[in-house]
Amino acid sequence: MAQQARSTRGLGPGFWPVTILLAVITAVCDYYVVVTPVTTFLREAASPADQTDELFKFLTFFGVIVMVYTVGYLVYFGIVWRKKKSDPEDALGIQVHGNFQLELWWTVLPTILVIAIGWISVKDWAGIFYAQGGQLAVEAIGYQFGWEFRYQGLQNPVPDELHLPLGVPTTIHISSRDVIHGFWTPEVRLKQDAVPGLVTTIHITPTEVGTYRIVCSEYCGARHGYMVGKLIIEPKETFTAFLDKQKYLQAHAPKGPSGLPPGVNLANGTASAGQALFAQKCSACHSLGAFSQKLVGPGLGKIFADPDHPKLVDGAAATPEDAAGIINSGFTGDMGTMPNAKTNGLSNDDIANLVVYLEGVSKGQ
Amino acid sequence: MTAASLGHEPHHDDGLALYREVADIRLLGFVLFLISDCILFSSFIFAYLYMRNAAPVWPPTGVGLPDANLAAVNSIVLFGSGATMHFAMENWKHGTEVKFRRWMVATIILGALFLFGQGYEYTHINATWWGSTFGAAFFTLTGMHGFHVFCGIVFLIILLNQTLAGVYNKKQYFGLVAGTLYWHFVDVIWVFLFFLFYVW
Amino acid sequence: MAVAAPQHSALAEHVHHAPKSFINRYIFTLDHKIIGLQYMITGSLFFIISGLLAELIRVQLMNSDGRFLSPEHFNELYSVHGSSMVWLVIIPLATGGFGNFVMPLMIGARDVAFPWLNALSFWMFPPAGLILFSSFLVGAPDAGWTEYPPVSLQGPPGTSMWCVAIFLIGISSTLTGINFLVTMLKMRAPGMTFTRMPLFVWAQLATAVLNMVATTALAAALLALFLERTFGIPFYDPSHGGSPVMWQHMFWFYSHPAVYIMILPAFGVISEVLPTFARKPIFGYKMIAFSSIAIALLGFMVWAHHMFTSGMTPWLVLPFMILTFIIAIPTGIKIFSWVATLWGGNIRYSSAMLFAMGFIATFTFGGVTGIFLAAVPADFQEHGTYFVVAHIHYVLFGGSVLGLLSGAYYWYPKMTGRLLNEFWGHVHFWVTFVAFNVTFLPMHWIGLLGMPRRVPVYDPQFTDWNRVASIGSFFLVLGMAIFFINVIWSIKHGKKAGPNPWNARTLEWMTSSPPPYYNFVKVPGVLHAPYEFDQPLPYVGLEPAENVVSGYKAPMPAGSH
Repeated sequence: MAQQARSTRGLGPGFWPVTILLAVITAVCDYYVVVTPVTTFLREAASPADQTDELFKFLTFFGVIVMVYTVGYLVYFGIVWRKKKSDPEDALGIQVHGNFQLELWWTVLPTILVIAIGWISVKDWAGIFYAQGGQLAVEAIGYQFGWEFRYQGLQNPVPDELHLPLGVPTTIHISSRDVIHGFWTPEVRLKQDAVPGLVTTIHITPTEVGTYRIVCSEYCGARHGYMVGKLIIEPKETFTAFLDKQKYLQAHAPKGPSGLPPGVNLANGTASAGQALFAQKCSACHSLGAFSQKLVGPGLGKIFADPDHPKLVDGAAATPEDAAGIINSGFTGDMGTMPNAKTNGLSNDDIANLVVYLEGVSKGQ
Repeated sequence: MTAASLGHEPHHDDGLALYREVADIRLLGFVLFLISDCILFSSFIFAYLYMRNAAPVWPPTGVGLPDANLAAVNSIVLFGSGATMHFAMENWKHGTEVKFRRWMVATIILGALFLFGQGYEYTHINATWWGSTFGAAFFTLTGMHGFHVFCGIVFLIILLNQTLAGVYNKKQYFGLVAGTLYWHFVDVIWVFLFFLFYVW
Repeated sequence: MAVAAPQHSALAEHVHHAPKSFINRYIFTLDHKIIGLQYMITGSLFFIISGLLAELIRVQLMNSDGRFLSPEHFNELYSVHGSSMVWLVIIPLATGGFGNFVMPLMIGARDVAFPWLNALSFWMFPPAGLILFSSFLVGAPDAGWTEYPPVSLQGPPGTSMWCVAIFLIGISSTLTGINFLVTMLKMRAPGMTFTRMPLFVWAQLATAVLNMVATTALAAALLALFLERTFGIPFYDPSHGGSPVMWQHMFWFYSHPAVYIMILPAFGVISEVLPTFARKPIFGYKMIAFSSIAIALLGFMVWAHHMFTSGMTPWLVLPFMILTFIIAIPTGIKIFSWVATLWGGNIRYSSAMLFAMGFIATFTFGGVTGIFLAAVPADFQEHGTYFVVAHIHYVLFGGSVLGLLSGAYYWYPKMTGRLLNEFWGHVHFWVTFVAFNVTFLPMHWIGLLGMPRRVPVYDPQFTDWNRVASIGSFFLVLGMAIFFINVIWSIKHGKKAGPNPWNARTLEWMTSSPPPYYNFVKVPGVLHAPYEFDQPLPYVGLEPAENVVSGYKAPMPAGSH
């Protein structure tokens, strides 16, 4: 009958030294976890980000313990309890089925840990959900593929940039015009989905001046990866100045013809370049069919040759110059928002190429 | 059970033991299938409850709720077919095949009547499948149920044919057990749908 | 504790003649072993294709500016990669592949409860895959494997094909779940009470329950999405009164149990491989068995932890968070029990053992990051980022795939009669283990710092780690290539295995390799759980395996008709 190759005395060669070594490794790693602020790697731009960072550190602290000991014992047992060359082929291990004490402890201790993690997480969730807000309220509206922000007192939304004053408890109401987007600034440690038909809410108090990325965190279509806005946290006075400037601009916004933007030279445009650009930048929202063949925006196949639509949607005449103008400035209307050239990553040459291409399409080329 | 009694040479018996074992296995399989079918209905019922809860007004504007009286009559027809199915099975177990067949035919006819009733309701209700979330839930759920009734009728016709061909006897009639179970299952689902769409 | 033991079975004595024609033996076979192999071959093919799609993703992501592929194509790639890996690779391999081949043998049955249904389940599998992959011709699904509306309502025609393909494979899965559940409940060998069942069978039992109950919920969600896309029936589109969040509830109610469908069989493999190669009983058998059932049941109650940022009713996050934390406890019990199984062992380092031990390391890490995701405030940072991508791959690749690879090395000899080459198995392991960590570890970091998932371009600050991950992935391909070459080469040239090359104790090793078409000459009686290595084998009435002729050539057993 096959025999156990080793005796059951003690826990095996080197068990306690290894356990102590693992404790040392854990202590060293966890020391760094405790003393290193998360802001070493990523700034905290608003509260309650600091609270979330403490939670991360707590989780990492215990994660380290679990990993070091699990993998440590895995490797150590794997080495020490190997079959030796001198063992007979049918040598056995120590025929142990379990150990009530051990199994009890490794059930009870994780349960306590889970309760602790649960307690802290509930507390932190409440800290986020019931965080102070409300002194300022802003709407963040996602669309394919950008953000716009509505401030109280401003008639029109402001594209791309969310300005917030430092130290003011703010409530952001998040929604979407079309599909689900995700409103996320990594430095704020908070995200909520922007869901059409719903308004989601976060309360934050900005704590650090700076410019941060607003990243779309929920797949929303072809250009999801390109959908980036800006969160600008600035001193209160700067913020007030920003709001005043926006009020002025909106009150004095030019109406009617957009006109040829400065720096755009239509004579230099090439249709083939425009065709490639159209496929890449425009075809997600515009077809090359008639006006009524809408995807998001109207069909552009007859834009310069459609007797039913002698004007562009912004009221300007359907001429190449004004088409260049609307591409440059973008437009928000009841079909949605077309981002401006800057957001779309279009240079002046790109605008020219696109317009020349569309002229050719209108002529049937 | 001792070691000595395990693994001994098999003794041959009259094939009934084999049938019973196979029938037992098939019954469990069929019941599990019905459970998974329950989940299908439950999921759409969840959707209906969710949409109804989320709607600002119910029924959605422009939609007329279905006629509960017509549905009540139709339900009696369907539950009646459950009763006739029960009587059919009682007769089968007692060996009175002629009565069994009559009750089976009655069940099939009542089932078909139920489907006609559904069809009538579909053409007279003031809602379309695509026109509102009510329509989406109502027509999908009752449609799925109606499809199950239709399959059940086909199942029962096949079983009836099999009894005529002598496939089953008084001791071996798993197919009929499955058919009865399925038919009652369809009834039970209807109880829930009736309550959800016509009562509540 | 012995529960009422299955009695003497008339069915077990009822052995059919082997089918005569090639087509009935190997193509439209009803033999669970051949069907299992069919699943393995098909699943492996989809694994290779889907892995190559992932490589295209990693090539794209070596640069931050998206110069390689158009965004449309890129989105299709990860959507089909994810869908394929979940539904065409891991679930079929874990259940239809390994479950089919091994489980009936392990319980001493001659086949599954419904062999015809088993074949039907398989034959839905290749068409489902063909439908999914042919969608590339018309615009493949592009909104991830989760296809959230409303954006999936806008998706290309392939999205509808996705609905059909997954619906089809879902029916296959449900039928397999029913089939396996009945088999394990009703067709165990005499004497095999639940507490004498091998842990792989416990794992398949829990998995079959999940498969059977959860999959139809997905069918409902897919049907509704298909109806809305095709006929405008309003379920999910808010502009017609529908709810996008409702899709998430319906989808995740299935898809969370689905991840347990993917991992439980791998858990089962580990619980067989570790005792065999450590030459000692599994530590804590009862708790491991119980925890499989606990995980399966709890798995139905945690789905909304995928939806913490979705805008669902705010306080609802709390019960889902707590229940998710609770699942960590039975999972931890398993992990600690496996490590304790190694203590006091006489460990032999076969490739199967290496993969089982590697599994423990990577799966535990995935479990820890799961806790990070379960904590709602932390999830507010992690959701929708590469942190989630990293977690998924640690539990699905580092967990399910490594576990199934361990099973492959373990049971290949039983399936083919030959051993896989052990040297190349070790090379495969080390290349894979190192490359895997190089590929996926950095993703936790860049996710937390700000890289969302499902993007063909990213902020240039993440370039270096993306390049590291991509280079790691190229070596993953190398490792898997080594494996598949080994698999093919060893069919003809591998060392002959004999019935029990690992000296294991479960029933599949008590017959020839490969087994005869009727599995056992005589169905044995079972006296004890199969983990007492210092005892005689706990079976009565076994024909010595050396006397058993393998494959379809085997003569009918004596006393059968």
